[in-house]
Amino acid sequence: MSIAEKMASNQKQIAISEFFEKNKHFLGFDTLNRAIITAVKEAVDNSLDACEEARILPDITIEIQRVPKSKDQLILIAMDNGPGIPQKSIENVFGKLLYGSRFHAIRQSRGQQGIGITGVVMYSQLTTGKQTYVKSKIASESSAVEVSLGIDTRKNKAVKYSQERVIWTEGDQIVEHGLFIRTQMKAKFQRGSQSIVQYLKMTSIVNPHANITFRYINSDGELEIENNWKRATNNLPTPVKAIKPHPHGIHLGQLQRMLKDSDERKLTSFLRQNFSGVSSRAAKEVCTKANLSDGAKPKLLKTEQVNSLLDACSEVKFLPPPTNCLSPIEDLLIKKGLSKTIDSKFVTTLTRNPRVASGNPYQIEVGLIFGGSMPSDQQVQLLRFANRVPLMYQQGGCLLTQAISSIDWRQYGLEQSGGKGVPKGPATILVHLASTNVQFTSEAKEAVASNDEVMQEIRKALLELGRNLRRHMKKKKKMAKAQEKFDLINDILPAIAEKASSLLGKPVPELSSTISKIMNAVIMEQNTYWDKDTKTVRVAGILYNYTSRPRSYTILMNWPEKQGAVMIDNDRGGRKETIGLWAWKIETLQPGERANIEFGLDNLEKGDWTETEVFYRGSAEVIGASKLDEKILEEMKNQNSDEVLETMEVITEDIDETISNVASRAMLNDSTNDEIQKESYQTTLFEKEGDE
Amino acid sequence: MSRRREEGETKAALHQVVEEMYTKLEKGETPTMTLPVRTKLNIDFDKKLGVYKYGKKRSTRDASSLGSAKNLLRALHMVEFIDEMIDNGKSSTLREMYYISEGWGHGKFSTQNESNNLAEDLEIITTSMREDFKLRPEEDGSRIIGNLTINELNRRGEWMKINARDDVGDSGYGVPYNVEREKIELLDHDVDFLMAIETGGMFDRLIENGFDEEYRCGLVHLKGQPARSTRRILKRMNEEWNLPVVVFADGDPWSFRIFGSIAYGAIKTAHISEYLATPSATYLGVTADDIVAYDLPSDDLTSKDIEALKSELSDPRFADGYWQEQINTMLKLGKKAEQQSLAKYGLDFVTDTYLPEKLAELGLA
Repeated sequence: MSIAEKMASNQKQIAISEFFEKNKHFLGFDTLNRAIITAVKEAVDNSLDACEEARILPDITIEIQRVPKSKDQLILIAMDNGPGIPQKSIENVFGKLLYGSRFHAIRQSRGQQGIGITGVVMYSQLTTGKQTYVKSKIASESSAVEVSLGIDTRKNKAVKYSQERVIWTEGDQIVEHGLFIRTQMKAKFQRGSQSIVQYLKMTSIVNPHANITFRYINSDGELEIENNWKRATNNLPTPVKAIKPHPHGIHLGQLQRMLKDSDERKLTSFLRQNFSGVSSRAAKEVCTKANLSDGAKPKLLKTEQVNSLLDACSEVKFLPPPTNCLSPIEDLLIKKGLSKTIDSKFVTTLTRNPRVASGNPYQIEVGLIFGGSMPSDQQVQLLRFANRVPLMYQQGGCLLTQAISSIDWRQYGLEQSGGKGVPKGPATILVHLASTNVQFTSEAKEAVASNDEVMQEIRKALLELGRNLRRHMKKKKKMAKAQEKFDLINDILPAIAEKASSLLGKPVPELSSTISKIMNAVIMEQNTYWDKDTKTVRVAGILYNYTSRPRSYTILMNWPEKQGAVMIDNDRGGRKETIGLWAWKIETLQPGERANIEFGLDNLEKGDWTETEVFYRGSAEVIGASKLDEKILEEMKNQNSDEVLETMEVITEDIDETISNVASRAMLNDSTNDEIQKESYQTTLFEKEGDE
Repeated sequence: MSRRREEGETKAALHQVVEEMYTKLEKGETPTMTLPVRTKLNIDFDKKLGVYKYGKKRSTRDASSLGSAKNLLRALHMVEFIDEMIDNGKSSTLREMYYISEGWGHGKFSTQNESNNLAEDLEIITTSMREDFKLRPEEDGSRIIGNLTINELNRRGEWMKINARDDVGDSGYGVPYNVEREKIELLDHDVDFLMAIETGGMFDRLIENGFDEEYRCGLVHLKGQPARSTRRILKRMNEEWNLPVVVFADGDPWSFRIFGSIAYGAIKTAHISEYLATPSATYLGVTADDIVAYDLPSDDLTSKDIEALKSELSDPRFADGYWQEQINTMLKLGKKAEQQSLAKYGLDFVTDTYLPEKLAELGLA
């Protein structure tokens, strides 16, 4: 036996499970506080993913119990109403690392490497020697299965200790389908910014379709904490489709494996069948560039040939991969998620169009909330998410943080020393990166790795929010000024008149003429609020003419027409100016007169529409409204038709290859794209005004 | 010369303020309150009185902004409050009024400074004194030591004869806030002049050294910028007893201002300068020249000091040759010195050498 052969035979086959045992710090089990958060996270991620796949609105309950008379021992109970796991799969799901279909599929999902829940079972076993109890019920079976599991860490295999079929009831209801896990581990329960509560709160923001309950029971067996983050929408995330890899995102090893596994006889058909975005023209081009014949047999390619094939791929232009493999949360839902968990005065959100970086589709979503009860002398709270999973550690080393820190927030009204770093102020900034391939800095998946393209995309999105914030602040300032005037004429002036009259024993004089002199302005007061009783959004505006001359205006207000809102109770009538913009003509408002504009918005939920923009056409300034920029309005009207033209052009280019593409674009146009249009339209109108 | 008013007159004058607002409202105009501009740009020398008074510049406060409208409302509340006090024979401190304003709704004060300033505004507009308004300051007056005998009406309503040398302890006679004739009578004295001293340390040094007896003078402690009652009692002793007044202060721009307010009247109280100012008072020191002549330990002027000196150069009260020279010398020197820096030459230097020399210059010793 040669020395080399001897050495090789001596090398132990290290099971992945054993590797994990030695490297648990990589996987989020390095501290006692983190261990329980990671465990909760794995359980919740699994539940959300499973519910999403099975199209079930998730109800998730997490319970932590301090084990009495123990040092740092916690029991974790996780329960969901998901599809459950078939009896025969339980061992694999809970007992084998790198198990699951997700590892090979290319699409956006929460747990990407499938290392998740098995790690929890293993950690439990390593720190307490206890088995993990699992109860699962699938809809097609009449009873649930109960299993106690351990793991043979050397064989990467689950060991089943008991198995029974039972009837699962919760309260007096028989559970149709769901999963129940109870496990015990060495861990510490903490509060604060890196806690289970924070993690679940963040999870609920980006999963507004989930109903999440949390309970903490202390060592005396008392319920100490109970939280419930209610479902804010009944719409499940758009179903995501698995896509084939894109030639720009492929690595050598992956390409070799695909070639080896392929059944295609010709290289061109291999390229077209196994990749997305490859037209027959492009496939031929790759072969030519790689100096390979179109008919070369994929299975037989040598390493140098694979290398030149890879090089050729990077030189050829392909159609972008379809982006319907992504599941953005979408503007409105982020807004809802944020509003329900954090008390604030102003929320702005943005979902950018999906983009592709190195063959991987990705999409950026951002949100910013401001005001309310948030502290103004502290750093802004950052909420980072990758594929709807909260990132709670390694904030400083994360691309999402770096993008936020690279912006000079001072120009948008937040404090920031030197125009760099995490800004200060009563605000929370949310960044969500959705991608088929999120690159993390480490296995712990807590920080997104640097990437210039993605960074620029996040910056663009954040700058847009910044402009919205600035607009809001400006508006607030303007309104405060108007409010001062209102206070003056409604409170102070009558008090002066009354006091002066009573001191002199004379009658109180009529004030209207004095009021006109003091105000000498036309003022728009507007309020948007949710009416509990009718379950509609109400918009109420009053236009006051406090000048000495008659005035006439056209008043315009925006409304969420594209979101499906229905305008009701609009007694004043008016007419539609363009999509999402209504106009009312106010003919001659006499000095001292006022005009009411009121309407309701049906088919919306609470929090969907909280701020209405008011514009005016007319010669004299209206305090509390912005002058309408006609040029931009024109552009906006044109844009609505341009979108259609653009789509038409794509279709004629390469019909058979782009059908799926167009479909996905069209789908996006229906929802998110419109939102972006609206957002940027409002901003530009305002910017114009600010430049004067 | 404005003078103390009868209660009826005070009320009528205050009602003029109300009348101005009411008339404007009746005409459909914005209510206003007109008062003299209260800066150094609007003080003129009154030759007849020998003091600086507000000039003719008027500013109008109107109710077109929230802030000034609130001020007008406060003025009305204050008028009503004063009316009531006059009718009920009560009085209150400025601070008490500030707290009472809590119940004035939109007319409540947000700082005591606001209420003090408005009280002054009303004094100026109505040419009354705050004593007429039954308002008193909480600032206490100064201390006096020397062979001066006064009669003070004590709180039991009895007249009490006090000699400010024999009937008092080391802290001297405490000057009450009201030093008008109904409260204080100046009976008798046996001194040649009065010396007003800026700091407590120097006041106590002169007493310890027996300066008042040796040089036959009354010592008055100013406590920095002197309170109205301090200036008023100096004025009365100067007029009624015909005693010269000299001012002994630190050698810095702020001391010049203290002297200015004693001799010519303060800008803030220019409406009652003829009550408070002693035009014949002279500045004894520390002068800018003294810093050099006596080689006194000194500090560099701060930027605020320099700013103050420059502002004094354009102040009409310091327009004469003596002050222009003093101010310019100090600016050139770039130095200031405290009274107590004279201790450089020993504790007795001030009483044995400095003051006798300076008083000799003035012909008082």
